Amino acid sequence: MALEKELETYEAKLPELKEHEGKFALIKGDKIVDVYGTYEDALKQGYAMFKLEPFMVKQIHSIQQVQFISRFVDPNVART
Amino acid sequence: MVNALIGPSQARFAALKAAGQTPPQPIPVRALIDTGASGTCVDPMILQTLGLTATGVVAVNTPTTGVTPVKQDQYDIALIIPGPSQTHAPLFVGNLPVLAAELFQAQGFHALVGRAILSMCLMTYDGASGFFSIAY
Repeated sequence: MALEKELETYEAKLPELKEHEGKFALIKGDKIVDVYGTYEDALKQGYAMFKLEPFMVKQIHSIQQVQFISRFVDPNVART
Repeated sequence: MVNALIGPSQARFAALKAAGQTPPQPIPVRALIDTGASGTCVDPMILQTLGLTATGVVAVNTPTTGVTPVKQDQYDIALIIPGPSQTHAPLFVGNLPVLAAELFQAQGFHALVGRAILSMCLMTYDGASGFFSIAY
């Protein structure tokens, strides 16, 4: 998965991030860069800071949120 | 089913221009309005054609994943659903997170528009007449 390191960082830092429940973390490598109120703000800052390099925007939830799709589709899982 | 255009997000568009690259043109697709989807899904072929890379990871459940959610890449796009005529403003979302999912082209569409978009609209379905409307 392309953002494996960023996901590990999010999961490791989640106890510290819980006070920002519902906000959006901008993550690069092993760093939580900052937390933003909206997805759009985090995304724009991510591209401004990191240009076209990989980064992750992740909404902060103390309990994992799951998206549901009822139609028969095949999600792209763990592509390398 | 609606016609839609999918392109790089506004944020990515700006980054591409700043890097001296020519952003790709939006791709016209057929999109299925799906109240059974919590978010929007796009066929990976479309995302690949636009040269997009993942900017998120979310957990997803579908009929193919069983009861255990799977982690799935998330991408940022711009979505345009044109109005009924050129005098009507389109539904435009400039920075939209979407999931990549094989939508089986045999089903005749390349995108599912889910409740994340519909939450911005008023959708009415007149089953007896066979019409639906989306007000935004």
